Amino acid sequence: MSDMISNWVRRRPRLVGYASAILVVLLANLLALIVAEGLGYVRVSMIFLGGVLVVAVLLGSGPAYLAAVLGFVSYNFYLVEPRFTFGVESEDIIILVVFLAVAMMTGGLAGRVRDDAIRAQERARTSGVLFQAGRDFAGMDEEAEIAQRLATGLAEAAQGQAVVLIDGRCFAAPDQDPPDTLIDALAALEAPGATSAKVGDWRLRNLWAEGRRLGAAAWRSDDEPDGAQLIHVLLDMGATSVARARLSRAWAEVEATDRTQSLRNALLSSISHDLRTPLASIQASASSLRAFGDTFDAEVRNDLLDTIQEEAERLNAFVGNLLNMTKLEAGALAIQGVTFEMAESLDRLVRRFERRRGGRMIAIRVEGDRLAAWGDPILFEQALANVLENALRFSPEQGTVEVSLQRRDDMLIVEVADEGPGVRADELARIFEKFYRSPSANTNLQGAGLGLSIVKGLIEAMGGKAIARNRDDRDGLVVALILPSAKS
Amino acid sequence: MTTSGHLLLVDDEPQILRALRPALAAAGYEVTTAENGAAALAHLASEACDVVILDLGLPDMDGKQVIAHIREWSEVPIVVLSARDLETEKIAALDLGADDFVNKPFGVGELLARIRASVRGRDRRLSGQAQFRSAELEVNFATRRAFVQDQEIRLTPREYDLIRALARHAGRVVTHKQLIAAVWGPQATVDAQFVRVLVAQLRQKLEENPAAPRVLLTEPGVGYRLATDEDA
Repeated sequence: MSDMISNWVRRRPRLVGYASAILVVLLANLLALIVAEGLGYVRVSMIFLGGVLVVAVLLGSGPAYLAAVLGFVSYNFYLVEPRFTFGVESEDIIILVVFLAVAMMTGGLAGRVRDDAIRAQERARTSGVLFQAGRDFAGMDEEAEIAQRLATGLAEAAQGQAVVLIDGRCFAAPDQDPPDTLIDALAALEAPGATSAKVGDWRLRNLWAEGRRLGAAAWRSDDEPDGAQLIHVLLDMGATSVARARLSRAWAEVEATDRTQSLRNALLSSISHDLRTPLASIQASASSLRAFGDTFDAEVRNDLLDTIQEEAERLNAFVGNLLNMTKLEAGALAIQGVTFEMAESLDRLVRRFERRRGGRMIAIRVEGDRLAAWGDPILFEQALANVLENALRFSPEQGTVEVSLQRRDDMLIVEVADEGPGVRADELARIFEKFYRSPSANTNLQGAGLGLSIVKGLIEAMGGKAIARNRDDRDGLVVALILPSAKS
Repeated sequence: MTTSGHLLLVDDEPQILRALRPALAAAGYEVTTAENGAAALAHLASEACDVVILDLGLPDMDGKQVIAHIREWSEVPIVVLSARDLETEKIAALDLGADDFVNKPFGVGELLARIRASVRGRDRRLSGQAQFRSAELEVNFATRRAFVQDQEIRLTPREYDLIRALARHAGRVVTHKQLIAAVWGPQATVDAQFVRVLVAQLRQKLEENPAAPRVLLTEPGVGYRLATDEDA
């Protein structure tokens, strides 16, 4: 209810002004009557003059003239002898003229002061709205967010409603669906040559930034504030912000595709390298044997045959890894949970690496006996082989890779420690990610970034954990594989 | 056994070194191996070498860098080992001065043929030979004439420039860029398409069946190669 009244008041300031003028004159009459009757003092024109003054200062010249005329009439009617008659004499004309003059001068003066104040207030509001909108725009990256904020700001500036149309999406403030005719009119602004339009009491304008049309906006004012300039500045600001958001989004997209592209290239080249190197060795060895087999002595022939066999194994391991990766991803890995002696697995694996280790040493240390684990020994050996392969690859020539096995509570822990460069602390967790290739490590030593991710996948599928840390006694990486021990 | 010369094999994969060494030795080369670019450059600086086999993927530096370094002071033939799908790498390597390339995986027969062609090509160019001769084709550099099966063929100046550029490097690949430089001049900005058109013209005159060339061979994506008798 009070809202309705205040709304009504806000929308009709003029009427309120005149009504207040009448009210003030009535009050002046009341006061004058009290003074005249009570004190018998009838020269009370000053009271009316005061009323006119008050009206002029507070409500401006229009109501002041009304107050002057009303004041003169009621003063003449009620208080000037003969009372309750209306007679105009020369003296009364002077009073009327004085009343009107006071109303005019004071009202004009006060009105100007008031108008100045209102204008200053308006300016403050304008710059406040612009400032706030500018700050908000600067902090926004989302086109939709900016468009919504622009609609809100526009409604605030117009002191009414606003609609912003960008890319076929509609943003309204206050939040209510705008009429279809308005949307159509906004869309029609897209026609070449169109810049602005009017639909009913809505005003429409295109949004431009850097010579391109971004969309259109419409606004409607409940009364006539002189905020037209503010509105246009606000619209230009909003359009520029939208353009900026688009640009930065386009940049981000370009960067993202660049990154994906380079990741894919790196991946492709490393997979092709991992597949092609063993193939190249096999083909070179086989064709050598074919071309020169007769001239080679037995030792050379054997060495070439060994190469063929080892490289075929390596190829097989790589293909196995790719397959496991696919199975892990598809959730199709079947775990054969059995009890197995872990020390045996270690031994078997290290013997498998005998030929591949080159000049590097592999040292095994087993603490305790009867270390039986629960899991799938084949998958475990595959995981450990990947870890060992990595450790050997990053170890210096003549370096030693230490493999240790111990029990802690009901867990068995296998640790593989190398003498390589180790891994930066912030990369320790990431080296288990699929296709992760450390930016700090030698690119040629890195494979496709599959090995350790498969380790993690396999070990976790068996209810275990894979953890990496740097050695504290020297440079080097330790990868720990933790599996539950068998229930005895 | 007579030695075919000193050969430097640069590859960071020990198994490749191990697989190649016996065949290269059997072909009469004294083989030295290097596992990275720095070691290769150091070896070349200290010892005479007749041919270099270079893998483009090295741990310490880009293989192309190694080529650029070598070419600053040495004309030693370089044969590059590279993957089939890395065409731009190969072209860059050839344009930097590598003599030829072999795609991985490869047979030793192919590698040895490329090595021989590269060494011979260097010899031919450096000795300023006056002609190229194969079973099919003869190009006389002094008289600017060409013969197919001993019949002279008439060539436009551009066709002759093209066949001369290929014949001077007979048996080895010549990139589009190198051919453009030889025919249109080093500053020319000509599309590789022009080379293709010119090659097609030339094949009409050289080949028995231009659709299945035997003399002027295409190296897909890289350039062209003139067949020598060894290719037959």
